[in-house]
Amino acid sequence: MSIANLLRHISSKHVRFQKAQTFMSIAGICLGVAAIVSIGIVNKSILRSFEDSFINSTGRAALQVTGAQSGFPEAILEKVQTVPGVEYAVPVVETDGLLSKGKERSMMILGVDVLVDSQVRSYSLAEEDADIPDPLLFLAKPDSILVTRTMADREGIKIDQKIAVETVQGTREFRVRGILNPEGPAKVMGGNLALMDIYAAQLAFGKEGRIDRVDVSLLRGEKLETVKQRIEAALPAGYTVETPIGRTRQIESMLSNFQTGLDLVSFFAIIVGMYLIYNAVSISIVRRRKEIGILRALGATRGQVMRLFLGETLFISIIASALGVGLGILFAESIVGILGKIISQMYVRTAVTGISITWQYPVLGIVCGVVASLAAAVLPVLAGSRISPVSAIRSVPWSEEGFLTGRRLNTASATCILLAAAVFCLYRYADWTPLFRSTSFLFSSQLFLLLGMSLFMPTFLKGFISLFHRLPLLRHNSMGMLAGLNLRKNLNRNAVAVAAIFFGISVFVNSAGYVHSSKESVMTWLDAVVRADIIVSDGHPSSSTNAQTVPMPLDMWQDIEKVPGVLSADPWRKLYMDYNGNRVLLSIIDMVRRAEYSHFMVTKGDEKKLLGQLARRDNVVVSEPFASRFRVGPGDTITLPTPTGLVRFGVSAVVVDYLYDNGTVYLDLDTFQRHWGDKLADQFSVRVKPGENIVQVRDAIQKKLGGNRKLFVLPVQEFKDEIRKTMDQTFIFNYALSVVTMAIACFGIIVTLLASVLERTREIGILRSIGMLRRQVSGVVVLESILMGIAGGILGCLAGIVTGWINLEGAFRANYSSAAEYFIPYGSILWALIMSAGLSALAGIYPARRAAKTDVVEALTYE
Amino acid sequence: MNRKPAQETGNKLWCVGCMVITVVLFFTVSAQAMSGRDVYEKVHQVRSRMLDRKTEASMALFDKGGGKRTRTLTEYSKKADPEAYKVLVVFNSPPDLKGVGFLMYAHTFADRDLWAYFPEYRRIRRIPVTSQDDSFFGSDFSYDDFGGPPNLDDYKFSILREDNFDGKPCYVVEVTPKIRRKYTRYVAWVAKDLWIHLKIDYYQDKEIYRAGVFRNIRIVDGIATPFKLDMENRKTGHRTELTVESIKYHTNFPDELFTQRSLERGGR
Repeated sequence: MSIANLLRHISSKHVRFQKAQTFMSIAGICLGVAAIVSIGIVNKSILRSFEDSFINSTGRAALQVTGAQSGFPEAILEKVQTVPGVEYAVPVVETDGLLSKGKERSMMILGVDVLVDSQVRSYSLAEEDADIPDPLLFLAKPDSILVTRTMADREGIKIDQKIAVETVQGTREFRVRGILNPEGPAKVMGGNLALMDIYAAQLAFGKEGRIDRVDVSLLRGEKLETVKQRIEAALPAGYTVETPIGRTRQIESMLSNFQTGLDLVSFFAIIVGMYLIYNAVSISIVRRRKEIGILRALGATRGQVMRLFLGETLFISIIASALGVGLGILFAESIVGILGKIISQMYVRTAVTGISITWQYPVLGIVCGVVASLAAAVLPVLAGSRISPVSAIRSVPWSEEGFLTGRRLNTASATCILLAAAVFCLYRYADWTPLFRSTSFLFSSQLFLLLGMSLFMPTFLKGFISLFHRLPLLRHNSMGMLAGLNLRKNLNRNAVAVAAIFFGISVFVNSAGYVHSSKESVMTWLDAVVRADIIVSDGHPSSSTNAQTVPMPLDMWQDIEKVPGVLSADPWRKLYMDYNGNRVLLSIIDMVRRAEYSHFMVTKGDEKKLLGQLARRDNVVVSEPFASRFRVGPGDTITLPTPTGLVRFGVSAVVVDYLYDNGTVYLDLDTFQRHWGDKLADQFSVRVKPGENIVQVRDAIQKKLGGNRKLFVLPVQEFKDEIRKTMDQTFIFNYALSVVTMAIACFGIIVTLLASVLERTREIGILRSIGMLRRQVSGVVVLESILMGIAGGILGCLAGIVTGWINLEGAFRANYSSAAEYFIPYGSILWALIMSAGLSALAGIYPARRAAKTDVVEALTYE
Repeated sequence: MNRKPAQETGNKLWCVGCMVITVVLFFTVSAQAMSGRDVYEKVHQVRSRMLDRKTEASMALFDKGGGKRTRTLTEYSKKADPEAYKVLVVFNSPPDLKGVGFLMYAHTFADRDLWAYFPEYRRIRRIPVTSQDDSFFGSDFSYDDFGGPPNLDDYKFSILREDNFDGKPCYVVEVTPKIRRKYTRYVAWVAKDLWIHLKIDYYQDKEIYRAGVFRNIRIVDGIATPFKLDMENRKTGHRTELTVESIKYHTNFPDELFTQRSLERGGR
C-alpha cells in the first residue's frame, strides 16, 4: 500500500463526501493565510511608497542633510556646498498644503531652487518633463505653483487657473503656471504634490531664510561614507546626514510598533485557523476509526496511517493557502488606502496608492498555512495512529481519555500558564536586555496563557456541563439534558470547538479592554491638561500630533484676544525632531500663561517649583515614554538639536503625556523662540470671560479670523469628542481582528456540530422513531451550540481581561512607562457573552437543519 | 618672324597659366590649411569685438500649440582686459517681468559667475555655472548664448565641409566640448567672410535637441551683426525668436553698470 494509493482511493472519497467539513477547514486556513498575506503586502506597500517617494524626490542626491522640523538657516547650505567631494548641494523646503476649495485635499508642497535643482533632480522646467508655458513668469512671480498631471486631472486644474491653498498667512491664491508630467519628483506622494520655487515657498509657509533639507550629489569617484563624514564634520552638531534609503529605515523604525500590531492580527488569525484544523482532523479520525482499524489489520503501519492523514492535511492546506493568497491580495487592495490614511494621521504623511506584490508574502502565507495546518494536525494524527485495529473493527468506543486528556492535559495547561506568568515577569522587570523588552516577547506571554487555558478547556467544559445539569430549570428538560449529554460524549472534540470560541472572545475582550483603558487614560489626561474653553487650530483636531497641518503666525493670539468675550489665548507649537536616532515631539507652550489654568500631571519632580524652572529657562519637562526610553529624570540634562547647534537643557520633571508614544519634550515658548527662531503656532487655547457664551465667542472668533484661512474653532467638549472619534479610528484593526477570529471560531462550531450530527445519525433516528419532533432535534443541536458558545465565551472573557491587562501593562507601563490604568470593559464583556451565544446559535442552525432532516428509516440502518 | 610672336604668346600663356594655377593652388592650399580651430579663432575675434555694446531686443516665445508670448529686454556688455567681460540683461516688458535681470561676470573666458534677480522677491540668486546650458529664463536660448566667446581650449574643432547657407559660403565646423556639457557637440555654419554663426545645431548624442538660425545680417559699426535670431528646442517643439531692435557698439559702459546693485536696480 503506497501513500499515493491510499490518498487516491481513501482520502479523496472523504474529501468528496464531507464537503461541508472540508470547506470549513479550507475556509479557516484560507482566512488565516489571507490575513498574513494582506497585512504583509500592505505593510510592504506602505514602506515601498515611502521609499519611492524618497527616491523620486531626491533624484541623483546621494545624501540628505536634515535638521529640526522647523527648518535650519540657509547658511548651512553654503557650508555643505563647500565640502570637498560635494558636486551639488541644493536646498529643499518641504511642507504640507491644503487645497481650500473642492475636496480640500491635502498635499505635499516641495519648494526647490528651480535654477539649480535640475542638477540633482531629473526634471527641467523648460524641457519635455513639464508643460510650463512661461518658465520665467513661474520664477518671477511668488504666486506661482506647479501641480502634477495626476493632481490636475483629478481636481480639474488647468494652466493659468488660480487655486486657493492654505498657507501660514491664511488662504492664498496661487496661479498654476504649469503642469509636471509624472516623472521624478512629480511621482512623489502618488502625485499629490505641488512644486514651488523655494523662495516663494519660504514666503508662503513662514520659512523665510530657512530650509528643511539639503540634497547632496557627489562628485564622480568620491566615496559616500567619506563625504558623509566630511559633511558631518563641517556642520554643527544636531544635523543628520543620511542616504535616502536610510531615511526609509527611519520611517520603518517609526512605524515598527504599528506594523507589529498588524502582524499580530494575522498571527492570531492563523492560530484560530489551527484550532479549526485540529478539530477537523480529530473529527475525521474519530469518524474513520473503523477504516483505520481495517487498514491497520491489512498491514498498514502506524507511520502509513499518520502519513495518510498528514497527506490529506497537506493537500487541503495547500489548496486553502493558495486560495488565502488570492484572498489576501484582494484584502490588501481594499485596506491599503485605509491603513495609509491612519498612518498619515498618526505618524507621517504617506500617499500609498496601490499595493506592490512581491513573492515574499505569498510564499510566507503558503508556508505558514501549510506548517500551521500540519502542526495542528500532528496531535490528533498521533492519537489516530495509536488506535488498535481490533478495537476499531469491533466498534469498541474509542476512549476520549486517551492521548492528551485528563491529568496530562491539566499539567500541560498549568505549565503553559506558569510560563506565561514567567515570561511576563521577565518582560516587565528584567529590562536589561532588549530581547525581553520586545513586543513579540510580550505577545508570547499572552500566547502561553491562551494555550494554557485552551488545554484546560476539556476540564472546564466538563465542569460547565455538570453545572448546567444542576440548573433547576433544565433538570427536567429533556432537550437540555440531551444537549449536555451530547457535549460530554465527545468532550475533547467539543473542547476544541469551544477553545476556538474562547480564543475569538478572548481576543475581542482583550481588544475592548485595551482600547477602553487607553481611551479612558487619554481622556483623563486630556481633561487635566486641556482646560481652555475653546481650541483654535490650523487643522482638524485629529491632526493634533500628525504632520498634516499648516501652522499659523504666532502673533495671531493678539487678534484672538481682541475678540469680545475672550479672556486669553495662548499658543501651542509642535515640532518633530531627531533625538538620539529617534523621532520625538517637541511641544511648546507659554508656561506662564498656561500655568494660570492648566497643569501637568507630574509623576517625578516638584510640581510647585516647575513654573520657576521652566519659564524663560533652558529647562524642559519630559513625558514618561521619553523618560523611560532615554532613561532620564529630574536633575538630568538632555542635549537637543536646535537650528544653531546642540543646546543642553535640564530636565525638571517627568509628566504623564499621551501626545506621542515615542516621547514628548515640553519647552517654554520664550526659550523655544530664543533657540529655534520659529514664530509659528499650531493651536491656540482660548479662555472665555466668565459669564460669556462659549458658542457665541466661538462664532465671533471664526467670523473674525476664519475669513481668510481655514480655521477649526471648537468648544473644548467638541474638540475632545473629535479626539475620541479619532482614537476609535486608530483602533479599527483591533476590531477587525475580533471579527476575523470570531468568524473562524464560528466555522469551528459548524464543523464540530456537523460531525456530531453525522456521528449521531442512528441515535437521532431512534429519537425520531420514539416520537421526537424535528424541531426538538434541531433544538437540541442549537442548544449544544449555544452551550459551547457560552462556555467558550465565559472563559474567553476571563482570558481577555487578563491578556488585555498584560497588553496595557506591557504597552503602556513597561514600554512607555505611562500610568495607564486598566478598566474592565463590562459593556464589551456583556456583548461578548451575547455574541458568543448568539453567533454559536447561528452557527448551530445549519447542522441543526441537517439533523432535523434525518430520515428515520435510513438513520436506523446507519452503521 | 611669324613664329616668334606666336612662341612669345605661347610662353605668356604658359606663364599666365602657371600663375593662375599657382594662385588657385595657393588659395586652395591656404583654404585647406585652415583648421576648425583657425575658424574659431576668427569667430572668437569677432565675438570679442561684439562685447562692448548695448542692445534693445524683443523676444517672442512660441509654444508647440502656437501660443506666443513676447517680452522686451536690454542687454549691456563690456569687454574687460585682458579677456574678461561682463554682461547685464534686463527685461523691460511685460509688466510682470519688468526688472527681472541677469548678470554674467566672466573673470576669464573659462570662468564665469552668473546671477539672476527677481524684483518681487528682492533677491539676487546665483546660477551655477553648470547651468550655463540651461534655458535662459524660459526661452530656447541658453545662458551661454548671452555670454561672450567660449574658451577655445575647452573644445575640439574640426571642419566637416564647406557649404552655402542663406547664399553665403560657410565652413561647417563640428565643435566638441572637452568638459561635460548639456550637449555632446554642436555643428555650426560659420560665414567665411564675416566669421559669425549663421546656423547652429546642438546635438545630444546623435539627435539635434536645439537648433538656431541667425538671419538679417547687417554691418553695424564695422561688425557683422545678426538682427534675427531663431532658436528651436526640437524636444519640446518650443521656439524663441529674438529680434534686435537697435544695437550700438563701442559703448564703453562704466564698471558700476555690471554690479549686483545695478542688477537690482534694473541697469540704472
